[in-house]
Amino acid sequence: MRRRFKTSSTLVTLAVSLLVAGVVSAGLGAVRVPFASVIRALLHPAEAGDAGIILFTLRLPRVIAAGLVGAGLSATGVLFQGLFRNPLADPFVLGASGGAALGGAVAVFLVPTMSIAGISATALLAFAGSLLTMAVVWSLARAGGKFAVENMLLAGFAIGTMLNAATSALELGKEASNPGIRVLTAWLHGEVGVPSWTQVLIITVVELSALVLAIPLARQLNTLALGEEYAEQLGVRVGQIRILVVVIGSVLTALAVSLGGLIGFVGLLVPHVLRIILGPDHFRLLPAAALSGAMFLIVADTIARTAFAPTEIPVGLLTAFIGGPAFLYLLNQKKRRSSP
Amino acid sequence: MPAVIEFRNVRFTHGERAIFDDLNFRIEEREMIALVGPNGVGKTTLLKIVDGLLRPTSGVVLLQGRGLESWSRRELSCYAALVPQHLDVPFAFQVEEIVAQGRVPHLRRFAGPSARDFEVVESAMQAVDILGLRERAYSDLSGGERQRVKIAIGLAQQPKVMMLDEPTQHLDLGRQIELMGLLRTLNDSGITIIAAMHDLALVRENFSSVILLTPDAVSIAGPTAEVLRPDLLERAFLVDRSSLGRHVSAESLSYERGD
Repeated sequence: MRRRFKTSSTLVTLAVSLLVAGVVSAGLGAVRVPFASVIRALLHPAEAGDAGIILFTLRLPRVIAAGLVGAGLSATGVLFQGLFRNPLADPFVLGASGGAALGGAVAVFLVPTMSIAGISATALLAFAGSLLTMAVVWSLARAGGKFAVENMLLAGFAIGTMLNAATSALELGKEASNPGIRVLTAWLHGEVGVPSWTQVLIITVVELSALVLAIPLARQLNTLALGEEYAEQLGVRVGQIRILVVVIGSVLTALAVSLGGLIGFVGLLVPHVLRIILGPDHFRLLPAAALSGAMFLIVADTIARTAFAPTEIPVGLLTAFIGGPAFLYLLNQKKRRSSP
Repeated sequence: MPAVIEFRNVRFTHGERAIFDDLNFRIEEREMIALVGPNGVGKTTLLKIVDGLLRPTSGVVLLQGRGLESWSRRELSCYAALVPQHLDVPFAFQVEEIVAQGRVPHLRRFAGPSARDFEVVESAMQAVDILGLRERAYSDLSGGERQRVKIAIGLAQQPKVMMLDEPTQHLDLGRQIELMGLLRTLNDSGITIIAAMHDLALVRENFSSVILLTPDAVSIAGPTAEVLRPDLLERAFLVDRSSLGRHVSAESLSYERGD
């Protein structure tokens, strides 16, 4: 089977679709803003009036946040799957998201307003939590120099559960009116918040840098598909690649969690669908996954906030309903392939 | 002319156990050498030492007269290709994408392949006759097809030396004979071949020299007929001479008689 789509045209198509999805999504909600008005407001923000206030203070920051979360989680999925050589390696499944949530929760309760060089303590501790979790999962999953799928999943499961429990425990000592509790509840459910424009700007810059740094790694992940020792034999510095992938993946996971909390299976679902269309080449997959992931979560979040209006459901629930079965399907395939 | 590979007093220990104690041999350019010995005797270890994946405990390994430790990883990957016994690839990577990985040691770091690299990949696939498989997923291939793909990766590295770890394992008789023909062709085109082998009949028919590794950590290297002698095989495989029967050729028996 020849790959059916060219990389460049796929990326352009995805980018255009992403923009359209963003504009449509920004128009939808309790107050509907027509497509043309959204475009007009974007071009002439000063003349937008009431619609402009809704768009610029509520809708657009949230749409962009959803896009950043989806892009980050999907790209992390591609990176972790390449590193672990396994399609099930998703930041949520491996516990990296849980680790980030715990780190972030500690910051929310202890140092809610602290920031270092423009980056909030919440994001930094979320990064530390994600990184630490990945280090632990890695060492637990690697039994006797080889990866066992079961080990990887069980390690991720155990760590994720512990972290969720610890995150919940942090809530106990606090009164329900504590703003930290609200943040934490939103995280555990996987709700995309409405960030400030400063946050949007900083997170966009950091996330894009992380993605650009990841692109050259993607080629090396293709070599790594032959196995660590083989890749080593071909001159790939496996140890270095592993550290870079885990660090970049942790940065992306931490940013996603600080914006939207625990949103599961996005990093599993999006790369899986793209592999069917584009093939497994990580170099092609990574940018496509970032764009599609952004689009996927913008659409999912729009459904989450409009489908049952006036009630909003957390987008994390939605991705769990779609992603959970997809995960089980992949697990079953894996099992069938590895059994003799 | 320095040897392609030379081992001088090489010792390799795994924990307390000496895998080889005092290994000495020279492999000249364009030789076709079989590495023979019982399971666990260190055939794979020896190949991995040459490929820089394992370090000898003591002794000297020279490639082209230069100490192995002075070779950079990249130089080594362009000089020697190791075709592993098993290769499993996750995801539906296509044959061409897999073979292209053999170009990695020749690329600048983080750079993509050039038109020249694609030509080399193309001729590597042609040499092992897998052009028809280029768009197939590696994971769907048969054992014989996979073996060819693995050799094509090695060829894409454009090495002087190709090392193969039990290349005929799990192949049926027809595929074994084809593979031996392929290795001889590659050898004729100037690549030194070293293969870990179990089937002594194939070794006798196709290889000019043999390195025999024995469990008592002694090795014997020499022309095939001189090394595959009943007494030496008995010592290496720890079996009774009478049961060796069909594995011992007429020439080596006469060699022994004349000894």
